Amino acid sequence: MIAYLSNLATQVAIFGILAATLNFILGYAGIFSIAHAVFFGLGAYAGAQIALLLVPDVVLACIVAAAIAGGLSLCLALPALRVRGEYFVAASLGLQMVAVTLFSELKPLTGGIGGLVGIPLPTLFGVPVGVLPVALAALALILLATALLARGSFGRTLTAIRDAESAAEALGKNVAAAKTLAVGFACAGAGVAGALYALHTSFVNVESFTMDYSVLMMAMVIIGGTGTLWGPLIGTVLLLSLPAALAFLPFLPATEVGAVQQIIIGLAMTLLMIFRPAGLVGDLSRGQTTA
Amino acid sequence: MLFLQLLINGLQTGAIYALTAAGFALIFGATRIFHFAHGTAFTLAGYAFLFAWRADWPGWAGVLVAVAAATLFGMAMERFVYRPIQRHEGSFFTVFVAAFGVGIVVQNLIGLLAGRGLATVDTSLSFGTEVLPEIFVAPILWIAIGTAAVLFAALTVFLTRSHAGVALRALAQNPDLIRTYGLSANGLSVLAFAIGSALAAPAAIITAMTSGLNEAIGHQVMLISIAATIVGGIGSLRGAALAGLMLGVAESLALQFVDTQWAEAVSFLVLFAFILFRPSGIFGVAAAR
Repeated sequence: MIAYLSNLATQVAIFGILAATLNFILGYAGIFSIAHAVFFGLGAYAGAQIALLLVPDVVLACIVAAAIAGGLSLCLALPALRVRGEYFVAASLGLQMVAVTLFSELKPLTGGIGGLVGIPLPTLFGVPVGVLPVALAALALILLATALLARGSFGRTLTAIRDAESAAEALGKNVAAAKTLAVGFACAGAGVAGALYALHTSFVNVESFTMDYSVLMMAMVIIGGTGTLWGPLIGTVLLLSLPAALAFLPFLPATEVGAVQQIIIGLAMTLLMIFRPAGLVGDLSRGQTTA
Repeated sequence: MLFLQLLINGLQTGAIYALTAAGFALIFGATRIFHFAHGTAFTLAGYAFLFAWRADWPGWAGVLVAVAAATLFGMAMERFVYRPIQRHEGSFFTVFVAAFGVGIVVQNLIGLLAGRGLATVDTSLSFGTEVLPEIFVAPILWIAIGTAAVLFAALTVFLTRSHAGVALRALAQNPDLIRTYGLSANGLSVLAFAIGSALAAPAAIITAMTSGLNEAIGHQVMLISIAATIVGGIGSLRGAALAGLMLGVAESLALQFVDTQWAEAVSFLVLFAFILFRPSGIFGVAAAR
């Protein structure tokens, strides 16, 4: 039971990081990425390779993962600079689909479909540690950073870009730099979550970085409430406890739990958008007219 | 010789892409709704045909069921999802998430009902015969190209000659003026969804007979449709259809150099290049926002 709860808590912390960082570009900057799992995957492969080839140091893995995911976030930032709305969703959808092909084909780096196995247990400066405290610390740091960034001038610039890009530009805001930085921060955060995930499960393969996971992260943010600090975290807890809750339904065969879970998530997204577009936590007056 | 074979295959795929993309472009052009569940209409039509086929229904009945499934789905989306959202000034994102949610629900329902993974309809139509040395052509190629040509001709006539078609084009330009003239913008919007979704049905049926369906095919269809719409230029039906054809041929010709799993990547690269260098597309006039 303790092991189960600790595993669930680690998952919540890791997906909490993903939801919080996705919320940062989605809720504050208005960049609707459906490719967040790609950067989660990049971080996971980077962290796994560091642990396998060098040392399983959790901080080193996180830093390398953040650097790689953050660096490659340019793939997402470039189209975000050129287009927005519908066009950008299309670009990120394409990126997600191509990345899955890349992950399954680049066997030397990712182990292909089989994935990378036998990732050693994490250590911190040579001392063995659990992933849970590190993940919780990372989540706290990222939430703190999000809160600070969102409240400061950077966050206000992003919100301004989200609500009226040309107006922000006319006021002398450097739109390109702000967007690139926001995407870089969010993707680096996703990379950290990936490295933690790899060390936690000691096995990674492409299954965890598919479009389904991007959708799951997006659902966490949307169901909780975009553009709020706590909404994504609440969405994460809700959606991660869903499989456990479904396990209590005796008539449901175990093989179909995944599909039923997806159906519930999809329905929740559609119904929320029709009846309460700001999400569970979001303020109702906001989120309706923002572009 | 390989080149010619790939070109022929590409034309067949391209005809399918052109039909789907034109449906999407028609809906987007007329209603300004980014119908992200267009791929779902495609999936529903394909599986409706598959079920009819498995139940030993005659072919024409299967086609009818498929067209009806796609059309009804499109109309229901307009009526029950998009219209309530538009009522409270739904942003692009709200519309997108709602449509995406519907797509996920349908994808998993089909997975539950029809089983996951590849599902094909085997007919003699997709059986290739050697017409030239090392060149195989199946009757389905002519069906695909013929269907696309006939439907595009019909669509052009409809949009330029008929009253409803002209009204649809007017809706794209100025919805307020449409209301002033006493026409129903809502009714026209439903019409756009009905026609646009119906166009996905023949494409879905041909796909079911050739490369096969899977429950997640909607995402791929969506990517192609959006890519063709953007590459062709938003608002241009002809552009979308032509770009769809081009993407199909490009994906197929690329197989000379890369393996099949990369075909999708080719379309994406074309889209990416257009987004970066020419967001208004080939036939686009106004620059993308």
